[in-house]
Amino acid sequence: MNRRVVITGAGVISSIGTGVDDFWHHCLIGKSSVAPIPAHWNRHADFRSRLWSPLPEFNPESLGIAKSERLQLDPVTMLSLAATRLALKHAGFEAMPAEDRVRAFTLIGNDSARSGVFFGTGLGGAFTFLQNHTHHLLRNPRAVLSEYVGKKAPAEDREMLKSVIEHLSHGIRFNPFEVSMVMPNAPAAAIGIKYGLTGPNETFCVACASGTVAVGNAYRAVRDGRVDVAISGGCEFFGDEHGHIFRSFDVAGTLVRDCENPDTANRPFDEKRSGFLFSQGGAAVLVLEEFEHARSREAVIMAELVGFAESFDAHSMMSLAPGGVQIERMLHMALADAKLNPADVDYVNAHGTGTRNNDETEAQVIDRVLGKSVPVNSTKSLLGHTIGASGAFEAIVTALTLRDGKTHINRNLETPAHDLNFVRHVKNFDPEIGLSQSFAFGGHNAAVVMRRYTDRVNST
Amino acid sequence: MNVSVQERVLRVISEVLDQKQNEIRLDVSLRDELQVDSLKQMTLFIALEDEFQRSIPPEEADGLVTVNDVIEFIQRKLKEPSLI
Repeated sequence: MNRRVVITGAGVISSIGTGVDDFWHHCLIGKSSVAPIPAHWNRHADFRSRLWSPLPEFNPESLGIAKSERLQLDPVTMLSLAATRLALKHAGFEAMPAEDRVRAFTLIGNDSARSGVFFGTGLGGAFTFLQNHTHHLLRNPRAVLSEYVGKKAPAEDREMLKSVIEHLSHGIRFNPFEVSMVMPNAPAAAIGIKYGLTGPNETFCVACASGTVAVGNAYRAVRDGRVDVAISGGCEFFGDEHGHIFRSFDVAGTLVRDCENPDTANRPFDEKRSGFLFSQGGAAVLVLEEFEHARSREAVIMAELVGFAESFDAHSMMSLAPGGVQIERMLHMALADAKLNPADVDYVNAHGTGTRNNDETEAQVIDRVLGKSVPVNSTKSLLGHTIGASGAFEAIVTALTLRDGKTHINRNLETPAHDLNFVRHVKNFDPEIGLSQSFAFGGHNAAVVMRRYTDRVNST
Repeated sequence: MNVSVQERVLRVISEVLDQKQNEIRLDVSLRDELQVDSLKQMTLFIALEDEFQRSIPPEEADGLVTVNDVIEFIQRKLKEPSLI
């Protein structure tokens, strides 16, 4: 069974915008949010990178997450719930309070058993894990030391000891819900619970390709008749108290090094690129639907998903295989799945991290398979790297590019490192086929292929 | 009776259990009448920790039967220094 799969809604929480319209507007004006890392992180390490892309202050209650829910959900799950709420609204679904469950909803007119969740994340609830671990490790020593400073410590040592106590900061509690907060499937599970979706509920942990793999598997589930509606996307939250997660990427040498000018530090595909911009995270959600299902409820269709493929490098945990042979194979498989040829591709949303190796290999493969004339951009040039969410953000950008016939610039590209048609200006063009690809630590490669939705497509 | 503590406790219970604050009686049993199971009890006590900035280990909360027990427990906790 090969059914048509369309995208009928999108929702995002990102460093440059909340909700798809705000996000897309800021993409098209080339907005980026870059700031120095929190000063208190510097107590714990001498970082080589000094910049990140922080999320705006996030008010869960304004996005429908009650205080009592917040206490038992990691921020990554709250971001996912908020983006899902926005995506469902964008898709035109109306939610009514569920009769049998507190703080849960039913999508009016939707068959919950024919609806599933397909979600990606890199590290899931790492924030909660670290917060609880610091509490587990430091609470008692800190209390003992605090008592000593207050009662017995010699006066001349007190300032030094107070400084040590300040370093021993920890989460406020060892949360009894830790297991269900940390588990990577928590975001997908929370979405299923919130909207009573009883179809398949799957989580994809493939690092930086998680979002793309999730969207691709959702596409297959709708295409093959397992579900009629799929909530798909990706999420990440890396804002831990001590900069631990930032450090793990920093010591691996992956983060942007040239931090002199925050505005130009993040420069995928440029000669002067020096690593990727670490993002605090975000969530991006797409609503996929079987075509007739979408049409029967008069949904507005953003784009059609027509292909997906994955491959694996089997080479290295942390670097792309030189030459990108498996990426090339993956691209051919994705196009074959879509019954298209390389020459049909009108737009590529690249993985485009800004690391020396990624951009070099990726540019070579795009040149070899798709040629020098296809427009290419990197959404990470605006957002930084949101890891498990990135592929979902980029799938949304691909759908919007096809819908509107324009796309965002490849920010900070001054001297391209490769002779490709990188997007330097926002201008109207006429893309019918778009492709978004992601590569991940471990060696995972994945791409989704989309077709612009028009009345002509409608009649085929 | 410290009314503000009572009101704050009732507000937290009302929010966690999604029940109207003015319908929660002080002598009502958490488990039997408000259907506070072990998961809800955990949620309730971390919400009270947040509200009153006091650490409440699970073993301390285990013997509390009624809403009034919770209010009196919190009043006692507030005499201790904040550990959060």
